[in-house]
Amino acid sequence: MMAIGGLSFVTATGTFALLTSQEANRGGSISSGTLTMNNTVNAGTTCFSYTGAGTSGNVNPACLALFSSASQNYPGTPATATVTIKNSGSLPASDLGLYMASCTVAATPGAPTPGGGDPCAVGGAQFYVLETDSVGNPTYCWYPDDAAGACSFIADTLNTFAGNLNTIANALDLGAGPVAGATRYFKIGMQLPTNASNTLQGEEALFALTWHMTG
Amino acid sequence: MDKLKTTLVLMIAAGAVALFAGNGTWASFSAETTNAGGSVSSGTLTMSNTVNAGTACLTINAPAGVNNNPSCAAPITLTNVAPGVFGGTSQIQVTNTGSLDASKLTLWAPFPNATLNGTLSTIGTTTSLPITPLEGSIANTNPITLTYGAHTQTFAANGATAGGATSISVTGQTANFAYPTGTIVSSTSGDTSSANSDCYDAIGTVAGTAGATKGTDLNFNTTSGNPMCATLLLSIQETTNGQYYCWVGKGSSPESATGQCAMPISVGLTTQITNLATVTQLNVAPLNGNIASGDSIVVRNGSASQTFSASSNVFFGATTIPVTSVTANATYPTSTSSVTDSTTLGTLNSDNVDTIANFNTLHNFNLGKIPMAPISSNGNVDLLSPIALSHFNTGTFTRTFQIGVYFPNPNGSTQNTMQGLVSNFGLTWHIDQ
Repeated sequence: MMAIGGLSFVTATGTFALLTSQEANRGGSISSGTLTMNNTVNAGTTCFSYTGAGTSGNVNPACLALFSSASQNYPGTPATATVTIKNSGSLPASDLGLYMASCTVAATPGAPTPGGGDPCAVGGAQFYVLETDSVGNPTYCWYPDDAAGACSFIADTLNTFAGNLNTIANALDLGAGPVAGATRYFKIGMQLPTNASNTLQGEEALFALTWHMTG
Repeated sequence: MDKLKTTLVLMIAAGAVALFAGNGTWASFSAETTNAGGSVSSGTLTMSNTVNAGTACLTINAPAGVNNNPSCAAPITLTNVAPGVFGGTSQIQVTNTGSLDASKLTLWAPFPNATLNGTLSTIGTTTSLPITPLEGSIANTNPITLTYGAHTQTFAANGATAGGATSISVTGQTANFAYPTGTIVSSTSGDTSSANSDCYDAIGTVAGTAGATKGTDLNFNTTSGNPMCATLLLSIQETTNGQYYCWVGKGSSPESATGQCAMPISVGLTTQITNLATVTQLNVAPLNGNIASGDSIVVRNGSASQTFSASSNVFFGATTIPVTSVTANATYPTSTSSVTDSTTLGTLNSDNVDTIANFNTLHNFNLGKIPMAPISSNGNVDLLSPIALSHFNTGTFTRTFQIGVYFPNPNGSTQNTMQGLVSNFGLTWHIDQ
């Protein structure tokens, strides 16, 4: 008994808390935002970065084409397409970029005698990227001029764009934004030069434009 | 007859002699006093917990009646958080509301927990526990302990239970008490991994801004393994009485000798910087993080920006940032300029250690409780102090902590799989006599 009492005394000293009190802050929550993009070509169906056929990891590779080979192009006659980019997420985009991974030539479907030229090459198609307001008035020419106002067609610009602005890292910088819920409007212009070679007859340029938004 | 009488008289006399001879203390006079009404009153050891300017949460209001309140306000709530961007902070004040000093103040991560949302019957077999939304996730066979006052009972989980669930399937047994609503429910073998801890991820059902996409709209985010709990960085910075100590997070002992957690800042200017002026100090709104001497402080206004170098340590709450003298490259108005610390952001963006998940697994009830000795000076605590939290209204009876969470943005990788998620977690504070 003496031994037990002594042990208890030693053990209890300084290590037993006779009274305690405790509480927990429960239910802390950290909610992440979203950064997603909607892409609408002309008056077509809106394409979403986060859902739809072929979508993976907030990348949608199957949005509508800007131009179709069904529309025949003539030298000096421009073709344009509008692209509406909306930030459908809850976070602002710090940067919007545009790149063309490749441009390849192919015979225009149904063309009887392709000329053998290459609209993606030097001397080929001319190309621009224009930002507008919501009703189509030019605001800034991002390519090739990089200046306020409308764009003009300049020789070899499709070739230059595809050759230099072809990855995320090398994308055309379209500046910051749009902020969450905001929309930006673009017009993409394309034409064969007025002095186009006959070799460009019956040939088409195949390319994809990729819009990339960073938070 | 005379002989008999004589004999009796002698016996009485002998008895009297024996009586007096055997009691030497017997007094024919006496005196006596009584101290009546003595009482021993026990003291109290209770605490309160206040988040920001909210209502104090009291242990004496604990529904389970054990001086243990499991349902205080959320430690921090942040919405629409983005990687690489200042997240936010909250303040928690822990107060000894009792009459006895607390020798210890201890912090740890709760086990996966909830409270009963119904009363158990002592008749029949209980196979499911109705609970408030479960904080954390529970693995199959994990012990589930119910506590209400002196009553306790342990069940075994019958299958895995995901965070947010409102019932736990258990192996059937009869309740040993009619555990009522409010009974504490905890998984006492949890907090062993990010997939089995108090912090759990859920898909967000509310958009960060009106009309925007939300977690449930996306097909590329995932909660498997609680990835955001394993990514978000937690810091707990004490600021009691203007002294600083980093208890949790990047900068916690022994990393920072100054007591600063690496907590990012995001504040506005309170005094305009004028173009071409010589700048030696930035006047800012109260800092919501810390700045270490030498940190790069970026002031930005639209497309204009300038980087300054902090010339001394600046602590949470300060309103001036001394910087190495430099000429301003533009005018930075108070209304539209922001001030951030790019050095701290860079430090945290590469940090994959100080996560909420790691806090859960390294500092829980079973392992690594954090004893919070009182601060003796910035970055130092008094380990020999007999008092961690003085009794109410005396000395330091309230200690103040800043809770910060940051969503890192590692260089070269996206965090897309964590879009639209919600990480849920808690903190437990405990004092001992």
